[in-house]
Amino acid sequence: MSMTVFVLLQTPIDQQELLCGQLAGVCRCVSELSSSPVRLLHLRKSKYAVRMKDKFLWALSCVVDIPDVSVCDLLDQLIALFCFYNGPVRQSYQLYSKQELALRWARYLCHLQGGSTELHHIFSCLRTIDSTHIDPLLLLKAALILQACQRCPLVLAGCILYRGRVVSTQMPPALTVKVMVYETQTYSQDFQVTANGLSSLVGSPFSSTATTQVFLMPTELHMLRCPPVDRACRSHCNQPPCQPSRSRLLSRTLSDTPTTDTDSSSLDPTHCPPPSYKTVPSSPRSSLSDELCFSPSPSRVNTPIHSNLMNQSEYFTPDSHVHSTSNGTNLCAVEEHLAGLNIKQDIDANSGSETKSNGLNSDQDIQSEEIKAPANGYEQSNCLDNHSDLDSQIKSEENKLDANNHVTNKNGNGETEEEAKTKSKQINRKLKEKNEPTNTPSPHETLEDTSLVPLVLYQHRVKGLVLALLVEPEFITDHSAREEVHHSSLASLNGLEAHLRNTSPGTPGPPGPYTFAHYDCIQNTLTTNVCGRSVGPQDQAFVKATKLVHSHFSRLDTLQEAIVRNASSAVYGTRTTAQETYFLQQGTPVRNSGSPDPQDSAFSLPRKARLRLLKHGVNLL
Amino acid sequence: MKCLLLANESAEVLFYWTDTEFEQRVQEQYGLPAFEDSINTLFAPIIISCSTMVDRLGDNYTSFSTENNHIYVLHQFEECLYIAVNGDGDETEEDLKRKIFVMKKLTEIMFGMVTFSGALLRKELRPQDTEQRNRLWKKLRSLLETYSRLRENDQSFLVEAVERLIHPTLCEQCIEFLERRLVQQINSNMDRMGEEVLHAFILVHTKLLAFYSSRNASNLYSSDLLALIILVQDLYPSKINLDETSEELESSSVPEVFYTPEPSPPERESGDKNMAEDSLQTLEAPTPDPSAPSRVFLESKECPMPHSMYCLPLWPGITLVLLTKIPNSHVATSVCYFLEAFVKLEKRLCEGHEGAAAMRGQPSVQEQRSRLEKLIKTWAGMDIQTSQLQNAWTDFKNKAFSRSGSGFTRDLLPSCRNMKTQLCGVYRQFFAAECMGSSQRLAPHLQERALSMVQEKLMDWKDFLLVKSKRNITMEFPGLIHFIYVDRSNGQMIAPSLNVTDRTVSELGKGPLADFIKKKVWSLVATAQRYLQKGYATVTLRDGDYFYCYFLWFENETGYKLEVIDIPSSPDDGAPVGMLTCDYYRKLLRYYSKKHQNEVVKCYELFTVHLGVIPNEYILQHCSQLARKLWEPTRIPLL
Repeated sequence: MSMTVFVLLQTPIDQQELLCGQLAGVCRCVSELSSSPVRLLHLRKSKYAVRMKDKFLWALSCVVDIPDVSVCDLLDQLIALFCFYNGPVRQSYQLYSKQELALRWARYLCHLQGGSTELHHIFSCLRTIDSTHIDPLLLLKAALILQACQRCPLVLAGCILYRGRVVSTQMPPALTVKVMVYETQTYSQDFQVTANGLSSLVGSPFSSTATTQVFLMPTELHMLRCPPVDRACRSHCNQPPCQPSRSRLLSRTLSDTPTTDTDSSSLDPTHCPPPSYKTVPSSPRSSLSDELCFSPSPSRVNTPIHSNLMNQSEYFTPDSHVHSTSNGTNLCAVEEHLAGLNIKQDIDANSGSETKSNGLNSDQDIQSEEIKAPANGYEQSNCLDNHSDLDSQIKSEENKLDANNHVTNKNGNGETEEEAKTKSKQINRKLKEKNEPTNTPSPHETLEDTSLVPLVLYQHRVKGLVLALLVEPEFITDHSAREEVHHSSLASLNGLEAHLRNTSPGTPGPPGPYTFAHYDCIQNTLTTNVCGRSVGPQDQAFVKATKLVHSHFSRLDTLQEAIVRNASSAVYGTRTTAQETYFLQQGTPVRNSGSPDPQDSAFSLPRKARLRLLKHGVNLL
Repeated sequence: MKCLLLANESAEVLFYWTDTEFEQRVQEQYGLPAFEDSINTLFAPIIISCSTMVDRLGDNYTSFSTENNHIYVLHQFEECLYIAVNGDGDETEEDLKRKIFVMKKLTEIMFGMVTFSGALLRKELRPQDTEQRNRLWKKLRSLLETYSRLRENDQSFLVEAVERLIHPTLCEQCIEFLERRLVQQINSNMDRMGEEVLHAFILVHTKLLAFYSSRNASNLYSSDLLALIILVQDLYPSKINLDETSEELESSSVPEVFYTPEPSPPERESGDKNMAEDSLQTLEAPTPDPSAPSRVFLESKECPMPHSMYCLPLWPGITLVLLTKIPNSHVATSVCYFLEAFVKLEKRLCEGHEGAAAMRGQPSVQEQRSRLEKLIKTWAGMDIQTSQLQNAWTDFKNKAFSRSGSGFTRDLLPSCRNMKTQLCGVYRQFFAAECMGSSQRLAPHLQERALSMVQEKLMDWKDFLLVKSKRNITMEFPGLIHFIYVDRSNGQMIAPSLNVTDRTVSELGKGPLADFIKKKVWSLVATAQRYLQKGYATVTLRDGDYFYCYFLWFENETGYKLEVIDIPSSPDDGAPVGMLTCDYYRKLLRYYSKKHQNEVVKCYELFTVHLGVIPNEYILQHCSQLARKLWEPTRIPLL
């Protein structure tokens, strides 16, 4: 039995090992007793979301006041992200060293935590641009760029991101989140180049493309290849490049709307989720189909990582799967991989103000173990500013790690691409070599191994603007297709970038006399006027109530609305299958006793919310 | 699939209870010949991991949940670890936590201060003698099942407040009768064997008809009263789940029956039979002595005070309960006083205070020393074993006071702990039911006399009372489905009955709708308590076709509504909101009273369920009227 432990916290190493040993042991014991994997583990001072699949175990820890549902979602997303970029888990654990794996997990976690407010963490939602400050025509333009790219049959779907936020996407939210990791990562790399003085970011045009291999689950792929919309059209891949304006595409913003007929309502993504999305498993609660991710690779032999990490837990009973390999090392099929990743969502990480002072949870005790979430979700590289050594490690290892990721400069004559190709071949060879010592894999394993489908993520950056496309693997070698996509979108991207840059970024007028958050469960987006930086007592009260009501909603399907009130604040929450909305009226409430009283202002919240939120595009009627 | 177990730090199971399903599952999986061995093997790793976590990380598990929704809740009280498991979806994490706290409460009621010492509690819960252990575990299991049954079916155990029968005149008459006739007669009789009736009350099923406390009695807390009702229900269970028809009531009024306690309810019997694997289970306990009282330890300001409890069944469903002070009960106070002194000393020593600083906040050492000397001498002359205590005391004195000893330093800790254990031991010898002479009781003829007096008094009322207990209050508001009104200051509640299976008298009728509403009411209370724990005193919910409200507020004695305050939110691993367990509301009232020191503060709660089609403003109007209307009955004095 081997156990790989990597923990992203500044906990003393002996404590890490203790923790991992104890948690893994207890989870094993409980799951045996109940014949089911452990999902959640609460301690007095923290809680862990747990995933036990096959021989792997992950545990993700956070402070106790984050809702259970949120931390479980986060762990699922994290694992899904890992599989998206690295393929089947077992294979990755054989290919990469502990340190490499730790850095990867750190990066993905950092990305997921990068939401700008605590509310984003509660809902685990996508970060989108604030559409209320953007000319709808720009959104339209973005959607059109994506549609234009899809003229190339090798392009499956895409999205456009601006400074780490979604402008337009054709993919389901779960997939968009995954794609965004690569964007932030390449951004920080590019930024480093410019910071070295080669060119200034602002002065000269800055444009680059990059590709990387990614792995999709068959369901995700099926949805991209055969979107419910106009399936017949899509089934033949050799379509003429010039299509009539009628869309055959899966577009979130403009699903089937001909360009000439722009209806303002269809521009608003919050109101008209395109029918094609009805079938998309995009809700944050949709469980990740683990079976696909956790496929054992055909080989599990000769991986030095495992043989030197032996049983660390006193409770592990000797496993029956233990078998001897040809070279005599005892190697276990069971691997407990415990990623103990501690999170603390501290909104004011950068401003340095200690906002939490209720003293009821022992924040102080665990503070040292926590990674602070970046205040600005975009500057991902700053994420670990408290852990600068780890941070620099991430950066320095980035190129090493991403052996199969190729970043190419636009002016690089494609030489780097050639290099990259050979590199990727090397990797493949390496993989094959590793696999060779075993006999031919059993049909079952082969089946599982092929269940994650490799695709390519293509990315074209124009300063802060990124076009990300999921493309068929042949796209890399098909020079003409690349040229076509590149040229057809370059001018539009430049134009869009210029427009977005000139749009005054979030000058969020004077904050109204109310606080609200509106979560779109279908698109996984959040609209709120809670400002990420300055969190007043009212906002804190709002976030606290939102957490409670959100987890209540998630537990009880029939619950439609709730008003909760303490002495200083009253919060109204309402939901439908598609959305959740929370509302707090600011100002000190008039003196009241809390006894039943029809005059109580708390009970007028639903009416006020309906009225106030209309101007934010939230319709509660 | 349910289980509850207590273990000590050396992973020894002190007590366990499982339902048949859990037992079968464990047997299938592990199949050891003795079921107890399987339980031990299964939980040992978890128990050991718990102590490792506490020792090494200063943290501990509070719960696990699995993908198939099995829940494990863990809670450590001193040296004792409680684990509760549910795998059938009947109970939530909160329910399990509550069950653990109730179990703790029941051990306190049964063993009093003995629970302060892990070693003694182990002796108490795991007697060497198998037959004795069997009897005790059977009793504890039965109590636990009785509690679960009440919690599932009885609204007063849902909100943990005592429900009173609303009949002011009869109530007053009964109180007068208890005071002038019953208690006076017993307390002036020579055959009371040194006991003195302090409290007397009459229960109709779980509802309180009348309650009398004598003048020199200390206050009986609601948490204790609720626990006592569990004990009474365990002895004489109400058939909540069966149709109780009037014929049944009439056919069973033969007095002799009542001195033979009814056997345990049938479902429990069969459950026990299934535990045949455990050889301990097959032994039949000797029939209990009918006139022997139960030993109960009730909270008082100083310490858990020993009392004797006599349950006298008047008719099925109607019980007279007498709580008496027993001889030597003052010893409890002095033991407790010194126990506390040693606890304080231990704490100071652990914190690193030495010498005089270790005794800060306590009366002079010399004074205490001579008092304890004197007490030990007195106890030695009282027919109990004090040699161990004397040894421990000599050892302590040598270390603490002699020149060659360590003085008040950390080295004193073991002697200090030993003194604690020995003091608990003395307490146990004086008061534990096992140790008390079996002859200590009110003379049987006195008990019989008390019974017949009250029977005579209530003869004409009994049928009325049984019906009344099923239909205590009715509703008049259109659209109102249900409500529960609780006065937390005196721990009492009022609610229309919700007897789902009862053929005749539920406000809601019967069948699936009533059952549905019952589920909704139960979940409303759980939800409200969860929000209250986080500091929210007003909650309204629209769920499906219904609208739910919850209000908590404070008033002064004249009914003037006091201003709302921010209620501190309690940590997730704290005691559950309620009265039976750690009395959340008593603490809440104390917290609020700090800000209103000049007046008596009262605390009320109202839970309502309305039809969702009714406009909100009408619903709130209803709630407000309801609160005003219900305020009146609670004014009726109990004493």
